[in-house]
Amino acid sequence: MKTKTIECKNLKKWEKTLASCIRCGYCFEHCPISKYTRWESDTPRAKIIMAHGLVSGSLEPSDYIAEKLFSCFFCKRCETACSSGVSLTDIFIDARKDLIEAGFNITGTTTLTRPDCVLCLACVRECPHEARLLVDNKIITDPVICQACGRCVEVCPTGAALNGLDFGTSKQALQHETMEYLQKSKKSKAIVFACNWSYFPDLQSSIQVAADNKTYKIIVNMCGNRLEKETLIEAFLNNASGVLVACCPDGDCEHNGNEKAKSNVQYVKNLLQSINMDPETIHLVQIEHGDKSGFQMEIDTFMEKISGNK
Amino acid sequence: MKKSDLEKLKSIVGENNVKSDPADLYIYGSDSSVHNALPWVIVRPENTEHVQKIVKFANKNKIPIIPRGGGSGMCGQTVPIHGGITLDMKLMNRILEINMPDVYCRVEPGVVDDDLNMALKPHGVFFPPTPASSRIATIGGEIGNNASGVRSVKYGATRDAVLGMKVVMANGDLVDFGAHTRVEASGYQMHKLIVGSEGTLGIVVEATLKFVPIPEFRCLGIANFDSIKDAGEAVGEIMASGANPSMLELVDSIAIKAVNKTMDLGLAEVDAALLYEADGMVVEAVDYEINKMQKICKKHNGKDLKASYDPDERAKIFMGRKKLFPALSKYDEALSSTSLADDMAVPYSKMADMAEKIHAVAKKNNIVMTAYGHCGSGCMHTKILMDTNRKDQWASAKKAITEIYEYVRSVNGTTSAEHGIGLSKAESFKIEKANSLDTLKAIKKALDPNNILNPGKMMQAPEDWVTATDLRYSVNS
Repeated sequence: MKTKTIECKNLKKWEKTLASCIRCGYCFEHCPISKYTRWESDTPRAKIIMAHGLVSGSLEPSDYIAEKLFSCFFCKRCETACSSGVSLTDIFIDARKDLIEAGFNITGTTTLTRPDCVLCLACVRECPHEARLLVDNKIITDPVICQACGRCVEVCPTGAALNGLDFGTSKQALQHETMEYLQKSKKSKAIVFACNWSYFPDLQSSIQVAADNKTYKIIVNMCGNRLEKETLIEAFLNNASGVLVACCPDGDCEHNGNEKAKSNVQYVKNLLQSINMDPETIHLVQIEHGDKSGFQMEIDTFMEKISGNK
Repeated sequence: MKKSDLEKLKSIVGENNVKSDPADLYIYGSDSSVHNALPWVIVRPENTEHVQKIVKFANKNKIPIIPRGGGSGMCGQTVPIHGGITLDMKLMNRILEINMPDVYCRVEPGVVDDDLNMALKPHGVFFPPTPASSRIATIGGEIGNNASGVRSVKYGATRDAVLGMKVVMANGDLVDFGAHTRVEASGYQMHKLIVGSEGTLGIVVEATLKFVPIPEFRCLGIANFDSIKDAGEAVGEIMASGANPSMLELVDSIAIKAVNKTMDLGLAEVDAALLYEADGMVVEAVDYEINKMQKICKKHNGKDLKASYDPDERAKIFMGRKKLFPALSKYDEALSSTSLADDMAVPYSKMADMAEKIHAVAKKNNIVMTAYGHCGSGCMHTKILMDTNRKDQWASAKKAITEIYEYVRSVNGTTSAEHGIGLSKAESFKIEKANSLDTLKAIKKALDPNNILNPGKMMQAPEDWVTATDLRYSVNS
């Protein structure tokens, strides 16, 4: 079937790389988007297949394809998993460029600005990627550069900066997941918020029906930037026995999300102390990338500590 | 597919579990093989009842239905050559029971192998097939292909680990095959037949699997060889000696280079290396096996022998082997690694000849081929590295594969040890199984009279794998 094609000026250079992806699927494992939707179409491999389809002319560009290619949190876990060394996110960026040039105007995971923005420019100053721009008296997001880290959303005083598609990582979604878990049983339970880089030591794609009596749940918040104070407080309001926050070591986070997480955890510590609650029931750990066993050890230590505090 | 059919499917599983955008069809039209063919629709069942309803509907309307797990198959088993419904089983992903007293677990087909092992680990046991793709491969897919891996030399393949299963048959009936016990003598062992049937006889919706204790001690050794023939002969003698390795892997020079390049493991770049592992509950028993294997390696001119119990060192070496397949893509920037003729098995005594044959055929046909694999279980892997844009390279690959399979059959080997037949290996499979093909067809006909379950695979697949479907690569004329 002959399809309509676009000029893949930027993608073209990846033609050989797109063929060298052997489609092993190792990139599925930690992609927060495909883990959330549970569709193969949302995996990093699927994005590569779509890019191949666009370059080879066997896939007609569409809003649907553009939405998928504009949806990425740039955690680059797919690249870490890929032994073929495919630079997946660079390919996604070039696909975005080509799609924009072809006239596709899609948000995906990139951020938006509501019309009631007061132009305080806090988001422009805060964005570590210089993706928030003041153009013609409006704040716009460069959808090629935006890595959806969420700093602009966190810093916006009026709530005018919004996430596009959040795939379960928005404040509301994190709070919902937290509440749902904590309210399910009367047993005291803790929440472990894990940055997607933390390689959390848990089942990735399956569910254990008779889970061994775990008294905590790991919730992936993508990046420390997305972990707002309210989310941390919400856990305690729902009787969490403790909250452990895992983020990258200093200097490792591309979005400075670990700094934000540290500051928010300290804020909640102070808050707990001010109302005579134990500040040690919230704790932040910085996990080296790939250190599954180190992370599990931190969880076990924290759980033991808070159970001893009771 | 008619709009009314689409609506019917949506009414069964809900709108959110049906996809038919051209991009989705394109994505689900390929796997880790060279093939590409589009399904008409992708449907995600959430439970057995959904599967039964979908199959009944498909059977009534004679619509092909192709179950799919992680989509990591290498021979096109899940590529819908006749279109139809791709049944994405990944939402049926629950580990239902871990029964320690009776030594079995029950899982749904979408459970990922690594996840199952992570859940079993606190109990001190593991599910042994261990394919290299365990981080993505689902139990359903492993059953469909009788997957195995590096530890199969000691612990067997998926078929050896399956005690029973619940299967939705082509008419939509739900049946139980096998048992929850370790032995079962009565009747046809239908669960064993379903293993390796590539979704052509029924759709597995639950599996009862056995597991084995995680050994207290594991020791991994390496021996380098200046000649692949020596390494192959060492494999043959190790297995004939009665040694009991838990892993016995051969890697050739091309494989070593590829892993070093992508993983920086610092393996010595020799003609071949053997990785040998022994495990057990008593260190003396492990030492005994390792010493025995090292002695044989030395006899066959093995050098740089070392062995380690250190988990970090073992993990590093094991990871290199585990990631070998994708690493082969980096061997040469101009070449892509393709899954073709990739898992034949030959008798131990022919292992060395097989490795040499692979290299000779590659040279003759001007392509690059590797020789590596789970040689302890008789499985030799190859990958063809070629410029996939060039039509002449595909013609060379076809010639090389035909020659290799001719050799495999001539020494009483078999076409596929663990990846299955699908589309890519049907030609050799049909020649190898010539005098039993009618029996296989009769079984298929009896269980799936309307031929809706993954049609066009194995004995039904076209003779020529190159033209069986579109190739997923851009091939210039």
